[in-house]
Amino acid sequence: MTRLPGIPGLAPLVAFAGLLAGWEVAARGIGIDGLPPASRALAEVPGILADPESLINIGASLYRMALGFALGVAVAVPVGLMMGRSRHVAAFFNPLLMVIYPVPKAALMPIIMLWLGVGDASKTLVIFLGVSLPVVYHSYQGGRAVEEKMLWSAAAMGMGAPARLLRIVLPAALPEILVGCRTGLVLALITMVTSEMIARQSGVGNILFNSLDMAQYDTVYAMIVIIGVLGLALDAAFERLRAALVGWAEPSQALMVGTT
Amino acid sequence: MIAIDAVSKEFETKGGRRHLAIDDIGLAVADGEFVSILGPSGCGKSTLLYIVGGFVPPSRGSVTVGGKPVTGPGPDRGPVFQEFALFPWKTVLGNVMYGLQQQGVGRTQARERARALLAMVHLEGYESFYPKELSGGMKQRVAIARTLAYRPSILLMDEPFGALDAHTRTRLQNDLTEIWERDRKTVLFVTHSVEEAVFLSDRVVVMTRSPGRIKEIVTIDLPRPRDRVTLLLERRYQDHVVAIERMMDAQE
Repeated sequence: MTRLPGIPGLAPLVAFAGLLAGWEVAARGIGIDGLPPASRALAEVPGILADPESLINIGASLYRMALGFALGVAVAVPVGLMMGRSRHVAAFFNPLLMVIYPVPKAALMPIIMLWLGVGDASKTLVIFLGVSLPVVYHSYQGGRAVEEKMLWSAAAMGMGAPARLLRIVLPAALPEILVGCRTGLVLALITMVTSEMIARQSGVGNILFNSLDMAQYDTVYAMIVIIGVLGLALDAAFERLRAALVGWAEPSQALMVGTT
Repeated sequence: MIAIDAVSKEFETKGGRRHLAIDDIGLAVADGEFVSILGPSGCGKSTLLYIVGGFVPPSRGSVTVGGKPVTGPGPDRGPVFQEFALFPWKTVLGNVMYGLQQQGVGRTQARERARALLAMVHLEGYESFYPKELSGGMKQRVAIARTLAYRPSILLMDEPFGALDAHTRTRLQNDLTEIWERDRKTVLFVTHSVEEAVFLSDRVVVMTRSPGRIKEIVTIDLPRPRDRVTLLLERRYQDHVVAIERMMDAQE
């Protein structure tokens, strides 16, 4: 494949421009209310971002997402690493995860709402569940792949088993853990929106579906664009963090992340 | 002094059958002695080393070091592995300092000793490199420095030069003899290269194919310090190599 010459990041810009142009042409050609042209939807974005009400909603969404993500990582990493280092721990957790894995986390939302109500707690719990699984899985793989001889080298220096888990297994598995966290971050965004769609009270999902009910299609599309850009920005920020944290990793480990 | 007494190791295979890796090994290694364990691959020679290191428990028999039974790894026995096993998230300097800091040595003092060791293994100027930026030979030099740093009285070397090209291998063998001549640590050295074993060792333990038993122990009565070129022309060196090669061939 030949690469576009010159400016870095040109290719994605061209792709986005193409997408918007296609949308614009299709919308004008088809001419139904449900598909407003890109220009009209984008024109709504500044208005939404200038409205304090929407900003409070977006802030509430991001707060729940950050909380759910942080809790998910804090629980999933230790569980995954211990599964990776102990066959007994893995045998205990594996069947549980197999059962939870195929269930759409949003499908648990009605039950969770019965326990915890329609407020922040329910939504944060759903985000937590969505984040946990990929992080557990990748931490498990990362923990399992830690070279035995590396642990032996530390043991010969006089390091005990609990310290080895924290000071050898954790950093050695970090590149793989961060692959899981990256997937977890995207899932946090998805579960955040779906949870707000089911329990409408506040948040970006709430704005989106209220606008849909009121047939404000420009706002619906504008919100989808905002959520998309939010996702891209979070992912890009995370990718920078990841590169800074595991720049030491062998290329084979870095390649597993895929992009860049 | 290392005393290996009637040590056997059985593994359970995936199919649930028992596999006898090493059988009834008895060996005493004196302080300051350089002993190589030589054998075909799969003869359990590395397993024996791991048992002395305390990384793997024996199925039967016992190992004592300085009269004390081995129950686990300890800083008196420093391992060097074929896989290097460096900490990839630490710089070269960080790797060499690691064991010292683990032993409670202060940062400044640890750094000073680490720098001196890196100079000894000819790696000045690479202190801030990460392991991924080094060649195999350089990685193994770092690993040797990392282990020497915490002053083990015994070095356990598990085919340390097995993954290196011939030229690097020769250079590291020369460097190892030089380092060893300084303080004459006790070394247990696992290899499958006859020349390497004869060049480095005071005694060569030849093992049989699976299950690993001691076939013969050959004393290498060559003068030290040894120089490779002089040695290659030496009749006794050639005789040892040929005799041990024959022993190995006889098992095929």
